Amino acid sequence: MSEEKTVLIIDDDPDFVRAVRFLFEAAGYAVATAPNGRDGLARAKTLRPDLILLDVMMQDRTEGFFTLEQIRDVPALQATPVIVISSIYTDHPVFRIGPGSGWLPADLFLPKPADPGRLMSEAARLMAPGYAGRSMAEKGSDLR
Amino acid sequence: MKIRKIAKKDLDLFASVLPAFGRLYAPVPRGIGYAFDQPASWSEISLTYPRTMLPPRKFLLPPREALFAFDPKEGYRDLLAEAAEPQVLFGVHTYDIHGLNILDRVFAQGRYADPYYVTRRQHTAVIGIDFDPDAQHFARAMNTDFVDSGFDLFLSDIGADYLVRVGTSRGDDMVTMSGCLLSEPTPADIAQFKRRSGERHAAYRTEVDLGDLPEILEMEYHSDVWKELGDRCLSCGSCSMVCPTCYCFDVADDVDFGARSGRRIRAWDSCLFKTHALVAGGENFRKSRASRIMFRFYHKQRGFVAEYGRPSCVGCGRCIGACPAGIDIVSVIKMIRGQVDAD
Repeated sequence: MSEEKTVLIIDDDPDFVRAVRFLFEAAGYAVATAPNGRDGLARAKTLRPDLILLDVMMQDRTEGFFTLEQIRDVPALQATPVIVISSIYTDHPVFRIGPGSGWLPADLFLPKPADPGRLMSEAARLMAPGYAGRSMAEKGSDLR
Repeated sequence: MKIRKIAKKDLDLFASVLPAFGRLYAPVPRGIGYAFDQPASWSEISLTYPRTMLPPRKFLLPPREALFAFDPKEGYRDLLAEAAEPQVLFGVHTYDIHGLNILDRVFAQGRYADPYYVTRRQHTAVIGIDFDPDAQHFARAMNTDFVDSGFDLFLSDIGADYLVRVGTSRGDDMVTMSGCLLSEPTPADIAQFKRRSGERHAAYRTEVDLGDLPEILEMEYHSDVWKELGDRCLSCGSCSMVCPTCYCFDVADDVDFGARSGRRIRAWDSCLFKTHALVAGGENFRKSRASRIMFRFYHKQRGFVAEYGRPSCVGCGRCIGACPAGIDIVSVIKMIRGQVDAD
C-alpha cells in the first residue's frame, strides 16, 4: 500500500529510532535515519523523502526548530510533510508557546511519547496524494 | 518604554520563535572572525562576539542588488518585492544600531527616501545586545555605547538574566508571543542594570576627542598629514567596505545580449577607489590617493556633522582592523590634533 514512500527520521534517541523504524518498515515504507539536525538536513536534500519525522531536543535543546527552518529554506523540501515529535513542552513547561501559535512551519506536532496508532495514521494522511506536495501556504494558515 | 527580563538559559527558546518574524540572522563564527549569518543551531550563535567583519548594513544595502528589470515587451518592472522579505537581526551591538540609524537619516528621511532601503528597513526586526568593549572599540567617544532607538528589543546582560527594553510594537509582539519566557524586572534587576551599564561605560580604553574636531579639520585642510596618509593608503577600500555608515554605491545596467533588456544593478562602491570620482571625458576630481583618503575623513568627521549634527563614525573599530596599511582612525585624529607624530 505504501511502497516507494520514504520516511526520514531525524532523532538522537536510538531506541526511539529503532522502534519507529520498525513501525514504518512493517507498514511497507522505506526508512532512513539521521542522529542530528545537520546530518538530517543533508540526508533530506539528497533523499527527498516523502515524510520527515523530526525531534527537537538533540545536541541543542532547540536543534529541531533550527533544522526545520533550514529544511524549509530548501526549495525542494518546502512542501515535504514534517511531523515534529518532541517532549519539549513537558520537559520545559516554561516554554508555553504552542505549536499552534503559527510560528512552527511543521505540518503536525506530536508529543513524545507518540501513540503508534496515531503516528501511523497521521503519517499516511500527510503522505496521501491529496496532501503531500502542497506548499506550506496551500496547507493552511494554521501551519505558520 | 516597556522593560522586561528573560533568563539567559531560556534565550534559546525565545530565539526559536523569532523566525515567525522573519529569517533569523545572528553573529556566528565565520573564517577568522564573526559574521551575521543564518545560524545552523542555537549553539552556533555567539553572544559575546567582539564585532562582526561586516556590519549589518549589508541587510539593508546589499553589496549588489537589482533595482528593476526592463524589457521592450514587458517594459519596466520594479523588484521591490525582493526587498520585502522579513528578516530578524539578532545580537546587534549599540554602535551598529547607531549605524543603521545614521543610514536611516540618509536613505529613509528627508525629501528623497530610497524605496529599496525603506522597504528593507520596515521588514527588518533588530534585536540588540550589549557588549564588553575591546581596545579597538571607541563607541563611548562617539556617543554610541548606548542606544535608545532603532531597535525592536535590546538585551542588557544583568547576570543570570537579560534586561529587555522593548523599542517598538513589533518588539512588543515578540514579547507577547513569547508568553511567560519574559517577566517583569525587579528593583534589584534595575539596580544591576545600572551597575553593569556604568561598568561597561568605564571599560573603554580608547578615547577620541571630538570636541572641536570639525573646526580643526577646517584649519588643517592643507596639512602634510593627508599626503603622508595618501602615501600609505593602498586605495583598497577595505575601510569603507567594513564601515557601518559608508553608503557609496555605483549604478550600472546589466544588459542581456542585444542590449534591449536587462536589470539595473546597484553595488557597493568606495570613495577610496580611483574611479570613484571619474566622470565622462576622463576628468577625475580626486586623482590622488591623498585627496581620496582626506575626503573620506572630512565626510565622516566634518561634512556629516554639518549636515546631520554628528559624525558618521560610530566607533566600532572595524576599519582599524581591516586596513592592510595600518591606518588607524584614532591615530589619524590625534595626528590632526598634533597629539602624535605621523609614523
